[in-house]
Amino acid sequence: MTLRRLRTEIARRLAGGLALVVLVFVIAWVMVRAFGLFGTTGNLPQFIVVTLNGLTLAGLYFIVASGFTLIFGLMRVVNMAHGSLYLLGGYLAWRMVQHRALNYWVALLLAALAIGVVGLVMQQVFLRWNQGQDLRQALITIALSVILADQMIPYFGASAVSIGAPDGLAGSVRLAVYDIQYPTFRLVVLGLATLIGIALWYGIRHTRFGMIIRAGVDDRAMTSALGVNVQVVFAVTFFIGAFLAGLGGVLGGTMIALAPGQDAAFLLSSLVVVIVGGMGSLGGALVGALALGFVDQLSGIYLPAGYTNYSILLTFALLVFVLAMRPTGLFGRR
Amino acid sequence: MASRTVVGSGRRASAWAVCVALGVTLAACGTGSTPSPSAGPIKIGILSICGGPFATFEQETFSGAKYALIQNAGGKSLGTGPEDGVSGATVSGHPIQISFGCSDASPDKALAEARRLIQNVGVDVLLGPLSGDEGIAVANYAKQQPNKTFVNGTSAAQQTTLSVKAPNFFRFGGDGAQWMAGLGKYAYQTLMWRNVAILGEDYSYPWTQAAGFIGEFCPAGGKISKRIWIPLGTTDWASAVAQLPSNIDGFLLLTGGTDTVAVEKEYATRGGNLATHMLGGSSVMDPTSFTVGQPLKGLAGGSPVPLGSTDSAWTSYADGLEAVYPATPKGSLAGSLFTALYYDGMNAILQGLKQVNGDLSGNQAKFQQALSGLSLSTPNGPIKLDANRNAIITNYIVQIVSQADGSLGFKTIQTVPNVDETFGGVFGPASAPSRDSPTC
Repeated sequence: MTLRRLRTEIARRLAGGLALVVLVFVIAWVMVRAFGLFGTTGNLPQFIVVTLNGLTLAGLYFIVASGFTLIFGLMRVVNMAHGSLYLLGGYLAWRMVQHRALNYWVALLLAALAIGVVGLVMQQVFLRWNQGQDLRQALITIALSVILADQMIPYFGASAVSIGAPDGLAGSVRLAVYDIQYPTFRLVVLGLATLIGIALWYGIRHTRFGMIIRAGVDDRAMTSALGVNVQVVFAVTFFIGAFLAGLGGVLGGTMIALAPGQDAAFLLSSLVVVIVGGMGSLGGALVGALALGFVDQLSGIYLPAGYTNYSILLTFALLVFVLAMRPTGLFGRR
Repeated sequence: MASRTVVGSGRRASAWAVCVALGVTLAACGTGSTPSPSAGPIKIGILSICGGPFATFEQETFSGAKYALIQNAGGKSLGTGPEDGVSGATVSGHPIQISFGCSDASPDKALAEARRLIQNVGVDVLLGPLSGDEGIAVANYAKQQPNKTFVNGTSAAQQTTLSVKAPNFFRFGGDGAQWMAGLGKYAYQTLMWRNVAILGEDYSYPWTQAAGFIGEFCPAGGKISKRIWIPLGTTDWASAVAQLPSNIDGFLLLTGGTDTVAVEKEYATRGGNLATHMLGGSSVMDPTSFTVGQPLKGLAGGSPVPLGSTDSAWTSYADGLEAVYPATPKGSLAGSLFTALYYDGMNAILQGLKQVNGDLSGNQAKFQQALSGLSLSTPNGPIKLDANRNAIITNYIVQIVSQADGSLGFKTIQTVPNVDETFGGVFGPASAPSRDSPTC
């Protein structure tokens, strides 16, 4: 028994140690390539731009995945239609900006609110009466996502569209170092992600509703038994989660583009973010988004030449790596 | 467009597979008939893409193929949409029956649909497929069905006709390298570029297009200083753009759909000038990218169709198609290479059938011989087939311009006649384009 425990302990430490070694190696490798140490040719401006790209993309991932992790943490619902909500939100705002000539920020808010309502309806009509049936709920949301994906094609077309950034933010800012031009809107997304992160953290840590959510995450049955109307909490949480997906869709549609297939792509990235970070944890979503954003952006450049096509694979290597060490994710609780 | 669509959709499918697998894991954590070849009707199958991210091309390909039936086989459209049927089409007294195949842009799905149409529905002639890797798969399948005839849609991989060479597979639209003819010289002589980078998606179709550019640009004296191939499935292209060297004269973009929009937006936002510092592949020169807006004005690229041409052959085709299938925005169906090349393919089939009076007997030998010898006069120029049954085409340099009403449109600025698949001997069966081949 002791021997077995010892073996498990050693295995755990080994894995942790290995992770640390890999992490240090990766950082050292990127630094060598970026700064041009040991006789290699470096490219510092490129490193700065790519790091900013990683940060801003992580911001977008965080906005989308925080809604996903909130819903999962409280309700144990793996909302497989989360990506569809992202795409639909983007399309709605695109229509409003392009065809109704609405102000960008008004469109952003309206689209996100509309997606919040769509999420709420989805939860009330399809998921509420399947409470506790995790697999069934996952399958229902898969069905919804397939239906939504197909319905969006006739309404919004199958070609890529992009939402024009609001005036003043469409261009780029000149950074103080190396005369780098950097797209303003990407920095706006990073700023918004930070604000949303702070708001969510404050809301969950320091408000009564946040306390109920935390209690619900820890023990749903007990929270309910204490007289909290769990159904209302569930509905509000689903609304917020869907709202964030819609918001992410508008920002993503402005920063990158919208097209059929982006729904699956962002669902996948949300899944990776919350699995790496730990399901239901806001801090986990932050760390997961940063990890995914950096892997996404850095790997294409800093992998040895000839291996850059493996950069997509690295995302999943990250996933496997974290799961092997911490099956519940970095910040997940058992 | 070709292979872009293939892998693009494959990527989506695999993304879904991973999503479903991950999602379910998470949830668990919580808890044929034989056709009559000569007498009676002639069955034609149209294989296109109608699912996945490139479902948009279904409309274009169908409108092109059906317009050919309406214009040259006496067909009547049953509605004003490309999805509406066509009735009453005949060729040399034989009624034409149309069946449709629906791929999702992956070679396996295209192959399954081709099999279904040939073996179960019993079509005599198959028009399609749309994309590059699909084309390679279908051309290989054609070898197993020597008594049927395959006419390519828009698939543009070089190998399909240069190395697979199925004797009953005919391509009247040319390949991706041919679609770049003229652009290398344009870059060197008109834009005076000497040092160029290539940025594209990492698979065969962009490699083929790059080969077409390099085939002209490098012998002229130009240098390719960097080739950046980004894996499909990349959502955010910001860091791809960041890899473009600062000392280049310009870069060639070989992407499709969302990726095109992502790169163009990123480059323009960071202060880059698309018109003077970028050239586009054939899929980049597509109305679907107009969502990027005014920065596109002045961007030039290679295309197998004379987009925006004022030549009467092109305008009468575009106006005729618009009259049958009115599009929003106006001209968006006719302004696509997918529409034009499916139109050409169907017309080739009809002309071949007319020459043999609809006689498909003798394992279609006479019909296939007629196709091989066709001299087509198409809206995109005169077309003849080479010994590998791939077209010798006219290629075009097209440019995005601002139209009278302020919206974006195309203009044809250069015509390159007689472009053959080997580029006058540069390419051969063994010279399959890859990441770093051809060299420069």
